[in-house]
Amino acid sequence: MNAPTPGLVAQPERLRLVGQRRRVLAVMHQRLMFGMLVYVGVIALIAARILYLAAFGDHAGRKLGVTTLIPERGDIVDRDGHALARTIDAWTIALHPNKIIGNKLELARALARLMPERDEATYFAMMRADKPFFYLRRRAAPGVVEAVNALGEPGLAIDREPDRLYPQTTLAAHVLGYTDVDGHGTAGIERAFDQRLSDPAARDEPLTLSISSRVQQALEHELLAAMQKFSAIGAAGVIMDIHTGEVLAMTSLPQLNPNVAGAGSPEARFNRATSGVYELGSTFKAFTVAMGMDAGVIKSVGQMYPCPRELHVSGRKIGDTHPFNRPCSIAEIMQESSNVGTAQIADQLGAARQKAFLKKIGFLDPLVVELKERARTLSPRDWSRTDVMTVGFGHSIAITPLHLASGYATLMNGGIWRPATLLKVDRNHPVGKGRRVFSEETSYKMRALLRLVVTKGTGSKADAPGYRVGGKTGTADKVAGRGYSTSRVVTNFAGVFPIDEPRYVIVVMLDEPQATAESMGFRYAGWNVAPVVSKTVSRIAPMLGVRPDKKREANMAEVLPYIHEKSDK
Amino acid sequence: MSAHGFKSLFMAASVAGAALGCYLVSLNVASERAKLEQVEGKIVLAQRDIRLLQTEIGTRGRLAQLERWNAGFIRLSAPTADQFLEGGFQLATMVKPAPKPAIEAPIVLASAPTGQGVARQPSTSDSDEAKPGAATRTRAPSAQDMMHIASYERPTAKPTAIAPVKAPLLAKPVAVKPRSAKTVAATAMKVASADSLAPLPAAKPPAKATALASGKTRETGTPQ
Repeated sequence: MNAPTPGLVAQPERLRLVGQRRRVLAVMHQRLMFGMLVYVGVIALIAARILYLAAFGDHAGRKLGVTTLIPERGDIVDRDGHALARTIDAWTIALHPNKIIGNKLELARALARLMPERDEATYFAMMRADKPFFYLRRRAAPGVVEAVNALGEPGLAIDREPDRLYPQTTLAAHVLGYTDVDGHGTAGIERAFDQRLSDPAARDEPLTLSISSRVQQALEHELLAAMQKFSAIGAAGVIMDIHTGEVLAMTSLPQLNPNVAGAGSPEARFNRATSGVYELGSTFKAFTVAMGMDAGVIKSVGQMYPCPRELHVSGRKIGDTHPFNRPCSIAEIMQESSNVGTAQIADQLGAARQKAFLKKIGFLDPLVVELKERARTLSPRDWSRTDVMTVGFGHSIAITPLHLASGYATLMNGGIWRPATLLKVDRNHPVGKGRRVFSEETSYKMRALLRLVVTKGTGSKADAPGYRVGGKTGTADKVAGRGYSTSRVVTNFAGVFPIDEPRYVIVVMLDEPQATAESMGFRYAGWNVAPVVSKTVSRIAPMLGVRPDKKREANMAEVLPYIHEKSDK
Repeated sequence: MSAHGFKSLFMAASVAGAALGCYLVSLNVASERAKLEQVEGKIVLAQRDIRLLQTEIGTRGRLAQLERWNAGFIRLSAPTADQFLEGGFQLATMVKPAPKPAIEAPIVLASAPTGQGVARQPSTSDSDEAKPGAATRTRAPSAQDMMHIASYERPTAKPTAIAPVKAPLLAKPVAVKPRSAKTVAATAMKVASADSLAPLPAAKPPAKATALASGKTRETGTPQ
């Protein structure tokens, strides 16, 4: 507004006044209008907000969070939906020393009576301490809570806190792992899937594992019985679906109770199935023979090798438990688990091809599985001729039992390696990407060879009548200092059933079993772990839908003609 | 004028009423919703309780515990391969039927009575024939009369007299023995047609008797 300035235009006083009034009036109107607009705007805003709330808002009495049941941390269930880990509200009893109003000595006495894990002096000291807060007991039983509540002391706080519970206690403890006090996973699946289990968006859906608790229980029970019988210091077992790589059961002994994981020894917390690497011995021979077949070194199961009592290679001696002292066929080498024979196959194969095969089957790489407790395998540094030979029968190379299970799965499922998985394979979790290691024909030929070991060879005690178990025993001396120990061994058995249409692989291992009267003073795998396989398979096979049939068998006509004479057993 | 003056008032009142009505409806809806939420809250609480109880049951009945009971007290063991069956047929082969004294059962054969059989015939008959005696008299016994029903039952308790009585009731297919299988009847039919003395092929129930009689020599005397 560029109104004429009074100085420039000389006008009569009245006119000036009228002009001024009008201007003032106009300004006032403008201001009033502006004020009204602001006022209307504010009211409109409030009205709009009220209408919005009326239409979409929540009413005052609404309780948030109660309408959905989302646990603090996701459940872990097995493949059939049975709970393996759950979060529940547990009672906790805490002490606030500065809030105590009663007689501290009497209170300490009463507490010592109710919760005898500490004596009254300790309780009294806690009450006089400067700290504002003590946990007296977490996961308290309702009876104790009631009794503490009856004391009526305001300095004792009783509260509910989410707590991780493993209803099956020791079952699959090493797979599940455990959580720390704050509810974060520190081992096993709890650690590997910590993000997923505590994510508010995903935790209402339970995490479904590939573990089957019944199979797991059978394996754990039989293995524990064997471990106690043979006074072994440890044991491990794996049962796996060979087509999908799903681990149905995996255990490591001594047992661990994840509910009180802190109370377990480091030995118990150690997962032998995935973190422990062992020289597994003769179970490797199946791979060497399969490599030989695949590479064309072995033309037929009847191919002969000279099997002297001992083989001398660059200063080292390779001997057999059951020496042939005559030419022997591949079938016989497998049947009697001949180191001498297998060493020669490995020698023909050569370091390059052996290494390539071992690489493809995953034995030179860390384990592929969801758990974070994964071990790195040990293999020879320079891969000399002796190394090739010893690797051929499972020494100089240390792998985990899960590696071995994975390898046998590859061997028997048609030759395709797949990563092991602990999650159930379904729509949300497809089968892992595989790679071909052995030809289908090799895989097929191995069936009869592995069955031969069980029907006529070293693994006869692993046979479960009707379930057609095939497999290979392995007994390896443990490394002690710079050499091998003569008294400490690792025995293991890798089996597949039913051999005429392989579906599951079972690997069991005992660490330092002792000879007993029952095992005729032997420490060989055929005497201590093979019976575990037999018992476990006859328990789990019906659960897994394997029908026992005594009339079915692998095609034994492929190998039986090459068994030349009954060897002295 | 006054009506015109009140018009705006009415308008205002009706608008206010409508607004109030809308508000009441919304209030009602809100209270219903609140009730629903309360119920939902209760359901969630119940679910939580269920979960807690399930966890407790699961913990008390954990597999390790069951295994301990199993190993310690019940002593169950895994079934052997021979305990599994292929299916219903294999199961059936394991069950032998209870040996029936079938051979010792009285086999009552069809017979041609020599004469005395006529008199007793109508006595207990509940047939609707007018003069049964005459009917049977006229053309000696007639096929039906010669029929006897064989049964697996022992003749001790019941007099077999009933059998010949029921036999003539050819018109109605009386279910003499509901147990008599169709196959038996069928074979009986065939045989019956071959037998010169047999009743009409349509006669089903009596046919059974002839079936049993067919292979044997005729017996004259009926067990009276």
